[in-house]
Parts: sequence; C-alpha cells; structure tokens
Amino acid sequence: MGRFNQSNGKNREFRVAVVAAGVISPLGCGLNSTLGALKANQDCISSVNRFDVAKCRSKTAGQVPGEWLKPQKNSRKATRLHRASRMMIAALRELRDQDSSFQPELSVIGTTSGGMSFGENYYRALHRHRTLRLSPGWLANYPPQKPVIDAQEALGISAPCQIIANACASGTNAIGHAFECVRSGKFQRVLTGGYDAISELVFVGFDSLQASTPEKCRPFDRDRSGMVLGEGAAVFALENLESARARGARILAEIIGYGISTDNHHLTQPDPSGSGPRRAMEDALKSARLNADKVDYINAHGTATVFNDAAEGKAIAELFGKIPVSSTKSMIGHSLGAAGAIEAVICLLALQSQILPPNINFRSPDKDLDLNIVANESRDAKIDIVLSNSFGFGGTNASILIQKSAA
Amino acid sequence: MNLRIAGTGWVTPLGRGVDTVWNRLLKSDEAAEQQISDPVSDKKYFAYRVPDDALRDLPPHPRLRRASAISRFAAAAGLDALAEARSTIGQIDPERMALVLAVSNGGVIYTKRFYHDIVASGAQSASPLLFPETVFNAPASHLAAILGITGASYTIVGDGAVGVLAIKMASDLMENKSLDACLIIGAEEADWILCDAYHKWRLIKKNPPVELFRDPPRGTILSEGAGAVVIAHDGEIKIDAINAGGNFSRRHDASAIIQGVLHELADKQTCLIGSANGTFVDLAERAAIKTELPNSTVYSPKPALGESVGASALWQVITGAQALRTKCLPPVLYSMPRDNLRFASGGETSATKAIISACGLNQQAAGLRLSI
Repeated sequence: MGRFNQSNGKNREFRVAVVAAGVISPLGCGLNSTLGALKANQDCISSVNRFDVAKCRSKTAGQVPGEWLKPQKNSRKATRLHRASRMMIAALRELRDQDSSFQPELSVIGTTSGGMSFGENYYRALHRHRTLRLSPGWLANYPPQKPVIDAQEALGISAPCQIIANACASGTNAIGHAFECVRSGKFQRVLTGGYDAISELVFVGFDSLQASTPEKCRPFDRDRSGMVLGEGAAVFALENLESARARGARILAEIIGYGISTDNHHLTQPDPSGSGPRRAMEDALKSARLNADKVDYINAHGTATVFNDAAEGKAIAELFGKIPVSSTKSMIGHSLGAAGAIEAVICLLALQSQILPPNINFRSPDKDLDLNIVANESRDAKIDIVLSNSFGFGGTNASILIQKSAA
Repeated sequence: MNLRIAGTGWVTPLGRGVDTVWNRLLKSDEAAEQQISDPVSDKKYFAYRVPDDALRDLPPHPRLRRASAISRFAAAAGLDALAEARSTIGQIDPERMALVLAVSNGGVIYTKRFYHDIVASGAQSASPLLFPETVFNAPASHLAAILGITGASYTIVGDGAVGVLAIKMASDLMENKSLDACLIIGAEEADWILCDAYHKWRLIKKNPPVELFRDPPRGTILSEGAGAVVIAHDGEIKIDAINAGGNFSRRHDASAIIQGVLHELADKQTCLIGSANGTFVDLAERAAIKTELPNSTVYSPKPALGESVGASALWQVITGAQALRTKCLPPVLYSMPRDNLRFASGGETSATKAIISACGLNQQAAGLRLSI
C-alpha cells in the first residue's frame, strides 16, 4: 500500500503539507509547552485518579490534568461534553489559531474508545439500580464520532468525519489515509489526527492481559515489563502543497510516505519475526521513494511490552541499522488512538527544533536489540526526515514519514 | 471513478444469502421479533436477531472459535461476497485486496460481559480472553486472518451512515494501483444494553412493527447481521457517485444535510433506498425527498429487517443493487399512505439508478448512487 503508480502518467501525485497542528497530552497543552517538556525529559506518569485501581497490578498512567480541559463557555452543553471532546476541542482550537482559514473537505480521525467512561457511568448506574436521569447525556456523548463533531462544531468546521478505529495504530492510520487522500488529488484539505481519553474498561483490560506494568515504562530496556496507559489528542491540517503556498499558508512540514500492513499472527501479539512492522516501514519508504539511509530518526511504537519491542526493534535494526530511536511513550504513556497523532506532533517538533526526543527510564540495553536508543535525555541533531510507527491489536501496523519544511 | 460491485453478501434476520433475503423481501416477509432481557433490569425489549441456522455452514477457523457474533456475521457476509466476486471477476489476490469494516456499536456483547465482571466482582475478575474481542477492529482482524489479507485493513466507526463512509474510504483506497479490489463490510450485533440505550434516547419502540413516516415518529426496532460488498473495476452494478455528506448538531438539522446529499446525487430514472426507520430520520428524509426527488419510487428495508445501525447502509446498498439487477422493488411495509411520497408497492421497476440515502441516529448523513 501507499504506492501510486506513476509509470503511465495517469496518476499525478501531489505533495502534502502540514499547515497547522494542535496537541494536548500529559506533556502539555499546546505545541510550545509540549516542546518544553520534551526538552526537559519530563516524566508525566502519575497515579491514576479517575477511577479505582486498587485491584489492578498497574496503578499509573499519563493523564491530562482536568484544569486544562475546563470549558471556555460555561454553557450546559459545554459542561456535559466528555473529556475526549474537550481534548479534541483544545487541540483543534490550537490548530485554528495557527490557520483560521483552513476549511477541510474531510476529517479522518483515529480513536479506540470514544466516550467510553460515559458508557461505564451508564452501566454502573444500571447495575446498581441508581437513577438514570443523566443517562441520555452520557449516551449521547458516548459514540466515537461525537468528540470530533463537537470539536468541529465548536471551531466552525463542518466536514464529514471518517473515524478510524484500528486499535493503537488508529492515529497513524488516520494521518496516513488523510495523506493519501490529498496526495491522490481527490482532496485539497483534510483534517486528521487522533484522540483517546483514559477509561476504566480499557485500563483494566490491559491490566488483565498483564500488558501494563506496575513499574516505570522502559521501552527497549532489557528489564522492560510493560506499558503504561495515557491519553490526549492531536490534530493536523493537511493540504495540497501548491494550494497551501498559493494562499500563503505557513508550511510546517510535509508528510511524504505512508505504509500499512496487517499481521495475521495473533489478535494481540505481533509475529516475533517483526515482519508486520517491517512491511509497514518498507511500504512507507517505497511510498516516499526513499532509501532507509535518508531517514534520520524513528519515533518508535515502543510500548515497552516484551513482545512489541522485540518485534519492532528487530525490524528497525534490520532495515535502518543504528538510526537514533526513541519511544516517547516512556514520558506520556500509550494514548492508544491518539498515540500516533501525538507522536507525529512530537516528530514535527523534533524537525522544527532539530532535537531527538528522549526515551526516558532507560537503564540497560537489551542484548538482543541492536538499537541506538536516545537514552534518557533529548539531544540536538540535524534531522530532515523522521519516521513514526504505530502498531495495534488486530495486527494493524502503520508508519508515516515526515519531512522538514524546506521553507 | 470506475468502481463496480463485483459481489455481495447478506446476513440478516430474514436469513443468509442475497437471493434468500431478497426473495423474502419481495414476498413482503418481515423478520420475527425476539424478546430480549438482561439480569441487570426487569425491562424487556424486542429485537430482530439472525436465525441460529444462518451461520451453520460458516467454515471453521481458529480465529472464530471464541469470536463474538459480530465477527461471525462479518465473516459469513464477507466470504459470501468474495465467493460471488470470484465468479464475476475471477480470483482475487488477497495481497491486492483491502478490507474496510464499518461498525457502530461493535462487539457490545463481550464488552458488556467484560465490564460487568469489573463492576460486579472487581478489576481482578476481568477476563483477558474477553478484552481483545471488545476492540472495534477485532472482527476485521479475524477476517483478515481468515482471508490472508496482509495489506490495508481499516475499521471505521459511526452511526447508520457509516457504511456509506466506508464505501467512500474504499473508493479512495482504490486510487492506489496496488489494489484490485476492496471488501467492505458493515456489521452489528444486537444486545439488551443497546435496546435500553436507544430506548433512553427515545428511539426504540416497545413492540414491532416499525412504522415509517409517522408524525410524530414512534421509534424503531434494533436488529443485527452484516452486509458485504466487494468493489472492483468490473461488475454489473456501477457506483456512480458517493457523497460523504456531513454532520447535524440537532435532529431538525438532519433534513438539510440529507437534502444536500440528494441534490448532488439526483438523477433521472432513479429509485431511492432510504434509511427511514420509524424515528426522526423519517421526517428528515421525507422533507429532503419531497424537495429533491419527488418523482422517485421510495423503498426502505427497515420495517422488514429492523435497524442494524453499522450494517444498515450496506444493507441498503445491497437492496439498491438487487433492485437494479432484478428490476423489482419489494413493497414498503407499514408506511403512512398520506405522505404523497411514491412508495414502492412491490413488483417491477424501470429504474436504472438507485440512490442510497443514509441518515444515522447520531449526527451523520451521507449517500451514494448506483447504476446498471
């Protein structure tokens, strides 16, 4: 996938610019505070305070502070919104502040759980035979498309929404599909990104699989013991580069390649050979018509589970050799459907600021993984092209390539 | 856009198989309601369920051993659609095929069971076997494994319009020359908790039938199943145009979105396969049809099959394709005659184009046009 055949001259490819972006994650609300936290190697993991985790092995997560999500308007509708909607509104507001004239023809957004915690409220109330007076509000704000529609409505956008739910790869799949929509020439402008808010069901789910850790999140470390959950939202305004230049838009970066693969090994575990991630990365390179040695940094999926990091690390080492690699999930946790979008923002900031984001909590290299980890501290580097990986349950693998703006 | 329907698969409360379901619709059959209950409440609801024998000959596969009903429905419909596509366009290399799965509520039965264990017994009781099946893309993952699809697989989530958005996504994917075909499936499973939730929204009625275009509307009956369509560059039915529509903030804004969709898709000699389901959708759709397509013959399969949410738009597409192929339209069941819309009364149709109008219950509306 990701390849458009130009040989017959029929399919012209268009360059795809990032003209605006917005983000909210445990690292910060906005691009500037996110960059500051990246440079400060901040560990944003804290004790879970949104629900009871006493009976879980893992008790921590990367959480967006509630005070960042207070509605600007104190209307009844605004106060009823799910925190996922509020995160999407915060991210989209930042994007609109950068480019108020950006009007997408389509929105492609990734998520895994929508307004899940409202569904939990409803079921708990049912189970305990408590009042269901609030249930219409919970249910109305539960569907995965709702936070996207809410955010669009709040910011004056009315594009149709395609909501991709490809588990943890959703955010990168969304950006990748949006990229292909613009590159093919079918669309001039597409809004894309991902969101997810932490919920009890998902937290307990990963805990039940023993995929999450009671320790620190240590991607690619010899002693890694699992993931830590996170949450957040990030959005990108993608536009045909010529169109963006013609209207004088600021070009932040270009998306230049996308690869997607499906690994049929198991519903929740990757093929240990790393073939799924490898195919996604190879396809992203082919899509960009790029050799692996042109890539300067990889923001890995790097969940810190034994199996993911082994498969991904093997594929990276085979394809890219000693390229600098980090998993910023060590700082903010795994925000599932938002992860790919937040990590794409981190890549964008890395390109703009010429830094390599850190893989914190790294103590001991894994002798089976021949990787060049950006251990514990961000560092300056000359980087032009970066690759961001996301892999998910169901065997979905996605990789995107982002290039520094020439301007 | 040169996209054609090369194969279809249909798993519904009226049975499995396009010919089986179609013939029953033509005979004015309607699904038999089943009462469903749950220990969590005394309330009971009616839903239309897929009959047990519909999946009897689904080939065994390790991935389906513990899979939820939605995955089995999707697999059955998908395999049927591919079997028909192979007879139409020959073998399809799974590495040159993409998969797009449309759902609304997803694996709700396992999700409820998983969360029930947490609420009733604590987090330590949660089953690691159930959790992976609660993920929206579990059915797509199982189907990809069964079919050997190793490239693009997408699950997209939305309301009753999500099937059209899935076909739109597939049409965008088909721009890629590395693909020969795309399998699109809409799937849904019914459960008491969904009935209760939609009842709280005042969208469900207590008892069948689903009565169309009543003012005020009385509500719908939920159903389950799957619809699958293989799109390729060959096939009898052409997908002429797809309109991804838009979102409505309030229910009374739905009509304007549908009207915009129909305005763009309007053509001569069309029949309209609507999403009217006994809710506010009927009145929104009626107003838009009266303005944009007053002379079209209108049919909605929902009184016969129920509201299958994530599967419903794919069911409408299959209905439209069958109407064009067979030159027949089933009669609309339980519609209000005073509406001065031209309802299908059963029998032949001269339509050479079918417009699918898909308005969902949660703020999305879209449409597409088929031709023969």
